[in-house]
Amino acid sequence: MTDQELIEGILHRDRNAFQCLVNQYQKQVIKAAYHFVGNLEDAEDLSQEIFLDVIRSLPSFNKSSSLSTWIYRITVNKSLNMVKKKQRRGIMVRIESLFRPPVEHGSTHTTEPSVLPADLEHQEKQSLLHAAINRLPENQRIAFVLCKFEDHTYKQIAEIMKIGLPAVESLIHRAKVNLQQHLVHHFSEYQKT
Amino acid sequence: MDCSQLKSNIFAYSEGALSEEQCQSFESHLSSCIVCKQLMTELNHIEAIIEMEKSVEPSPFAATRILQRLENEFEATKKSYFPGLVRVLQPVAIAGALLCGILIGSYTAKKDNTQANQVVNPYENIEFLRTNLFISDFADEDTMLGLNK
Repeated sequence: MTDQELIEGILHRDRNAFQCLVNQYQKQVIKAAYHFVGNLEDAEDLSQEIFLDVIRSLPSFNKSSSLSTWIYRITVNKSLNMVKKKQRRGIMVRIESLFRPPVEHGSTHTTEPSVLPADLEHQEKQSLLHAAINRLPENQRIAFVLCKFEDHTYKQIAEIMKIGLPAVESLIHRAKVNLQQHLVHHFSEYQKT
Repeated sequence: MDCSQLKSNIFAYSEGALSEEQCQSFESHLSSCIVCKQLMTELNHIEAIIEMEKSVEPSPFAATRILQRLENEFEATKKSYFPGLVRVLQPVAIAGALLCGILIGSYTAKKDNTQANQVVNPYENIEFLRTNLFISDFADEDTMLGLNK
């Protein structure tokens, strides 16, 4: 099914068109959302909202870009909103924990940890990487994730972000410098301890 | 190349963006400095994580769940004949309920006020008892208690 046929079908509430859209774009949507959110389960939940949004706002799609690029734009916006919500929730939880009395663990909780040290180290580095990416300014973060994780060309990134090629180059360069500084600083501190 | 120069060129080195000369200088420092070697190992691990995350695969049920959600959503909109009307009626109903609450509240407050203003006069009660029960002996007790005006 071509993009045009897909759009026509969805606008006429054709069940086959819905199925085609999901089959064609679910991998792209979930993977991109995962690279921003950093958690596959959250990305899969978010993908449902993204597809709902795609279908609801399809009548306003002006075809100035390809359907795939447009879906990417919605995915990026929704994912960034989710990250912001999670960050706000994290702040609230930290504030709440300040007023909560410390929990005393009894002897029944002293079970063996089910995670291997190597897995723990991997998880730690994974969350360090995502924390470092989330510290980047929004535009740098989008450009870096689309380039490094999604393997998009600078031209595709420029289309998704609706900016020029030189701006994309500059954003990616600055993102790399910032990430390098953050990670090098973190590991240098880690080595000292 | 010293440690700080190496630190600012790590990404460029891993992406093959350094010149041949810079590359040699980078590698010779790396072979002689344990701290930088350790740092490079950690950052290589980060690169490996990025590569691993690229190959992540969604669960096989993800597509079914998305389709189910879309179907539920559109079934729900089909069932409600006037989906736009609900959006208008909801705030109107809430505003009506609030107005009713305010009116009931102000009415009961007014009623309480009028009741509170009706102060019972104890002398009237005594006069009532005296006339209705024909008890004339109250007079002495009244004088004793200083109730007589």
